Amino acid sequence: MKGVKRTSMEHLAPTLDLGGFRLDLSALFMIVLSSLIVFILARICVRNLSVEKPGKMQNFLEWVVEFVQSIIGMATDYKRGKIYLGLGLTLIMYIFVSNMLGLPFGIVTEPAHGAHTATFLGMELSVPKNTEHVSWSWWKSPTADAAMTMALSLTVIVLSHIQGVRLNRKHYLKHYFEPWPFFFPINIIETVAKPLTLGLRLYGNIYAGEVMIGVIMGMSWIGIPALLVWQGFSIFVGAIQAFVFTMLTMVYIGQASIHEEH
Amino acid sequence: MNFVWENFVIQLVAFLILFLLLQRFAFKPLFGIMEKRRQSVLEQMENAQKNRDEANKFIEEQKQALQQARKEAYDIIEQAKSTGSKQADAIIEAARGEASRLKEEALRDIENEKNKAVAALRAQVSGLSVLIASKIIEKQVDEQTQQQLVEQYLQEVGNKS
Repeated sequence: MKGVKRTSMEHLAPTLDLGGFRLDLSALFMIVLSSLIVFILARICVRNLSVEKPGKMQNFLEWVVEFVQSIIGMATDYKRGKIYLGLGLTLIMYIFVSNMLGLPFGIVTEPAHGAHTATFLGMELSVPKNTEHVSWSWWKSPTADAAMTMALSLTVIVLSHIQGVRLNRKHYLKHYFEPWPFFFPINIIETVAKPLTLGLRLYGNIYAGEVMIGVIMGMSWIGIPALLVWQGFSIFVGAIQAFVFTMLTMVYIGQASIHEEH
Repeated sequence: MNFVWENFVIQLVAFLILFLLLQRFAFKPLFGIMEKRRQSVLEQMENAQKNRDEANKFIEEQKQALQQARKEAYDIIEQAKSTGSKQADAIIEAARGEASRLKEEALRDIENEKNKAVAALRAQVSGLSVLIASKIIEKQVDEQTQQQLVEQYLQEVGNKS
């Protein structure tokens, strides 16, 4: 494995075949890295907690907490949505960090000259048949992969259904037949569409951003100002998407599990 | 777009682990601190309210005490004034009584002296008149007539006194 350079083409994911389980090393690596960054950031923020004199980092995390609190307050009733504060915080921090990670650079490796594949810790990376030129991309946003964003969205949608059945059974079951019973198929479609739109919106935005960076990279030096502009925009998009995902999570959970008494 | 279900599983597990770790090691202490701060702010506001109420109460009490003191001072001055005028009256009264007593005494003394003087004068006058009369009468009246005259005169004096 050699050569670290800016990526501009479609690359393979470095994958190990472990008896049918295709372990995507770059995905694993980036997920662990994002999680570590989030966790270490949070730990730094809560290192010297103080009631009277919060430090800069503590203030920052408290600001994030208040931001998520306001999201929950906007989406549902804050008092009853309070228990989802930790979930919302984890989501917004993890998604934001993930979105940002893919922006600054890429790491691409190629097999040693003349070889058709490469090994990782003594195991051979799998290469699809009839691939002429092989190169692996090791660095990308975890959220630029549909499987990973769907994991996040399904987690929160399943949670919302569980909470709906647990806490709000009557209204939760009734809402499938509203306003009239023959709306049931439409309601089912909506239920299925929710996790799909939630996950794919995030994936689409971030993946498109990374593809666009790749395209701009292909324009050589002319692309530098465009790259700057686009990366700035991607930061904005990444932040917005993290906010939207968290917001929609709270809205869905609120819709399913919290029934407003009129 | 290729959907790799293995990535799905990895992300799911990783997210759950991250969530649990954050909840345990970051959010729980932070929420605790934020809750504590909220409590302490509430407490301080309550304290401030209580202090203000107390201060107001003290001011009210002070005002009342001041009012009381003012009233007492006024009373004392009034009392002193009335006592003073009463005393003055009493002194004047006493002085007046003393003066009239002295005057009466003096009058009485004068009366006494006058009486004494009159008595003394009367005694001397009778002696002198007898002397003068005897000098005059010595040459003209014999012993018998003189006797008679003295008798008569004495009679007169005796009747008068």
